[in-house]
Amino acid sequence: MAVDLERLAEDALAALKAAGFEHAQVSASVSELDELNINHNEPSLLRSTEDHSLSLMGIIDGRKASTALTDLSEDAIAQGVASLLDRARLAPQDDANAVSENQQGHFEQGPATPDGDLMAARVSELLEFRKRETPKMQIEEGGASHRFSKGILLTTGGTRLTRAIGCYSLSVMGTAIDGDRSSSFNYTGGITNDLSQGHASTLFGIGDMLRETERQIETSSFDGNFKGDIILAPTAVGDLLGWLMGQLQDMALISDNSIYRDKVGEMIASQLLKLKSRFDAPGHAAYTADGFVTPPLTLVDRGRLTCLIPGLYGSRKTGIEHRPTTSGWVVEPGKTPKSELIAGIDKGAMVNRLSMGSPGANGDFSGVIKNSFKIEGGSLGAALTETMIAGNMADMLMDIVAVSSEHLDLGGENFPWIRINNLSFS
Amino acid sequence: MGNMNVPAGVDYSEARQHELRKTRVVMVDGNLTANTETSEGGSSARVFNRGYWGFASVPDMDDAAAARVAKKAAENAQTMCRFGDQPRIEMPTEFHVGEYGYNGRPPMSQKETMDLLAELNGYCKKEFPQLKSASFILAQENHEKRIANSFGSQGLSTINRAAFYILFSAEDKNGRPVELMEAVSGRGNLADLDLSVESLAPRLQELHQHLQAKRVAVPAKGGKKTVIIAPPLAGMLAHEAMGHPCEADLVLGGAVTGKLVGQPIASELVTMVDLAHSYNGEELMIPVYVDDEGTVAKDVTLIEKGILKQFMSSRETAAKLGIEPTGNARAYTFNDEPLVRMRNTAILPGTSKLEDMIADVEDGYYLLRTGNGQADSTTEFMFGIDLAYEIKNGKLGSAITDTTVSGTAINMLKTVDAVSDDMYWECNGYCGKKQPMVVSLGGPALRAQVHIGGE
Repeated sequence: MAVDLERLAEDALAALKAAGFEHAQVSASVSELDELNINHNEPSLLRSTEDHSLSLMGIIDGRKASTALTDLSEDAIAQGVASLLDRARLAPQDDANAVSENQQGHFEQGPATPDGDLMAARVSELLEFRKRETPKMQIEEGGASHRFSKGILLTTGGTRLTRAIGCYSLSVMGTAIDGDRSSSFNYTGGITNDLSQGHASTLFGIGDMLRETERQIETSSFDGNFKGDIILAPTAVGDLLGWLMGQLQDMALISDNSIYRDKVGEMIASQLLKLKSRFDAPGHAAYTADGFVTPPLTLVDRGRLTCLIPGLYGSRKTGIEHRPTTSGWVVEPGKTPKSELIAGIDKGAMVNRLSMGSPGANGDFSGVIKNSFKIEGGSLGAALTETMIAGNMADMLMDIVAVSSEHLDLGGENFPWIRINNLSFS
Repeated sequence: MGNMNVPAGVDYSEARQHELRKTRVVMVDGNLTANTETSEGGSSARVFNRGYWGFASVPDMDDAAAARVAKKAAENAQTMCRFGDQPRIEMPTEFHVGEYGYNGRPPMSQKETMDLLAELNGYCKKEFPQLKSASFILAQENHEKRIANSFGSQGLSTINRAAFYILFSAEDKNGRPVELMEAVSGRGNLADLDLSVESLAPRLQELHQHLQAKRVAVPAKGGKKTVIIAPPLAGMLAHEAMGHPCEADLVLGGAVTGKLVGQPIASELVTMVDLAHSYNGEELMIPVYVDDEGTVAKDVTLIEKGILKQFMSSRETAAKLGIEPTGNARAYTFNDEPLVRMRNTAILPGTSKLEDMIADVEDGYYLLRTGNGQADSTTEFMFGIDLAYEIKNGKLGSAITDTTVSGTAINMLKTVDAVSDDMYWECNGYCGKKQPMVVSLGGPALRAQVHIGGE
């Protein structure tokens, strides 16, 4: 990492100003990745990558353009600035174009250098666990990795944000096979600052996923169509919340397609749902790509939507209050044990994965539930053949009837199990 | 660019220099929300020795960078030996020397781009006053790769993909948003697509008509139904549901296709291929002449008249399965290792007429567009359906609300009883498999039985 990021960014910002840009933003970063890969149940590849990047954004006369390059030579940067100016001058004028002002901060966490022995030990543990505990499980791909990145973001508005973030990740993806029969593929993984804690199989639900996938070789189906209840496992909760987030951000707000446009302060979910930020999650720096520090935020408070979350441009374009957010979210666990969530369902499913298209702004969806199990008479039963369910995302948020006390921490996300009523099974 | 540095004294090695340039411009209701050009480039090396791989990359392309990644890749392969001995693999030693450049039109200038977007926005506002929102996305990416390997391969390959997306939204009868997207895509850069307002007008009008139909759409009746799968969807089906399970690395991982070679897995009307670079004498949208392992790219017949025939492979997976390498090893950026990836995957046309296929359906659905799809190594698949119509007594009826179709491809393809005589190609999406990848999809219309989500 020989690049002098401070000097690179300062020089680039000066070049943008000298070229005539009235407002500008520069981001410079370097990163290193070491990735120990598993393929087909064996260690296979050690991959080491270095990267660096310089991103430039300039506004002149209300007209904006941006670029990013990896060639950091003086000539390349000068050419990048000149081309940026040409493109910005031809862009439409827009008063909403702006840069952040006076944001300051340094964000640092996680290990800066990889511990190769630790990564190898974790991979060996995983492979031994598979061989000993879940021999029918075939690990298609997975492994351990370490990433370290440094970055700086400067604007002509006096913003100066820096980061130095290191983290490990561990992941597994595969299929359980017994003779001619096999499960659907399944996967899990997460990120952490400390890979040394606990056995590898206890991290990110990996051991549970491997065991459950072996049980998914034998499947059965429901007869006929019916209305039933589901428990969304933490691995599927993200699909529901991902749709919600999309409706609260720039694209949906600018095009005026969000059904939540006028719902701030109103109940948009069951009062059991509390969704709050975790912007300082492992691997994350708590600031946005458009140069704003992200203070902690409770986005849905006991079912009530507290705000919309446009970026700077979206806020200025729509007049909606600017609420900077980045990735990293937590659903607060409830008080009901997972066993009671299951016991309360007469007919339905434990949904570990929801495979569907991208539900539109109105929230209507149908999708296939995968890696899932039947629930009948309050008991968890056999694995389900891939089964179709249909409903509406907005209705699902309102129809949450229980949230588990248990939760699964994947690093960036930490979600419980959530019970939702009245989905159509077919 | 500096010299290639292929590590020596190992079982196999390769070096690559890779530049990727992208443009993305987004206009939402006349507001320019993205106006970006990016370029990235670097050197990588990969070494296979004593059963293990080592890979290294840096974002520079001079001689020093080439030497550094060669040394680091060899060290990484050596480091992997800590895991013990692996069975020896005899890599296929074939090599290829060739350069495959690109001759397209000069790229669109920024002024041409802005003028086009402004004109399109004005046209839509005037022609379609009922629209709530109109968005346009222009995207292009250009890859240039130099490849060399220890068996003597030397190559230059280029991939250029351009795509234009139109997204319309309106309100349904209950005031809820409904959306619909159309994409135009092709080989080359945006200037190689015909994007004049005059030529796009019929597609815009058609998209608007479909959106009006969606405003009063009815829910599908859930269950197993006879459907006509329109050509764009058939291409997605080919790629997702049968393409992935025919990738040799998935076969080695236990995909059900591994034990089905030579067996019937589809109707004899179905022939499916992954084409390297050409079809009927024309260059395809994603032409691969030499892959990122320096293997000459060959056409692969995956299914021939319903019989499973071949898999797509890299050098390592070919050696492990005892098949020939097909030139499917591809990497997305300079810091990615090559994986087994599809190129131009298609179901080949049949002899039926689409109108006749629809006319013969008493009660079913005409599935026109998909937003996305996923599939499994079991060939189980799921596609989101953004646009579809009922078929009642051989005639198209109401549009249906967004839904999903699912099934197991090796069962569903056996139900195909008609394949149309037309052929449609597109390359507007990304295939996801550890890395993204640009691919093209092709197909005619199919008539089959499939499970559809709904009431």
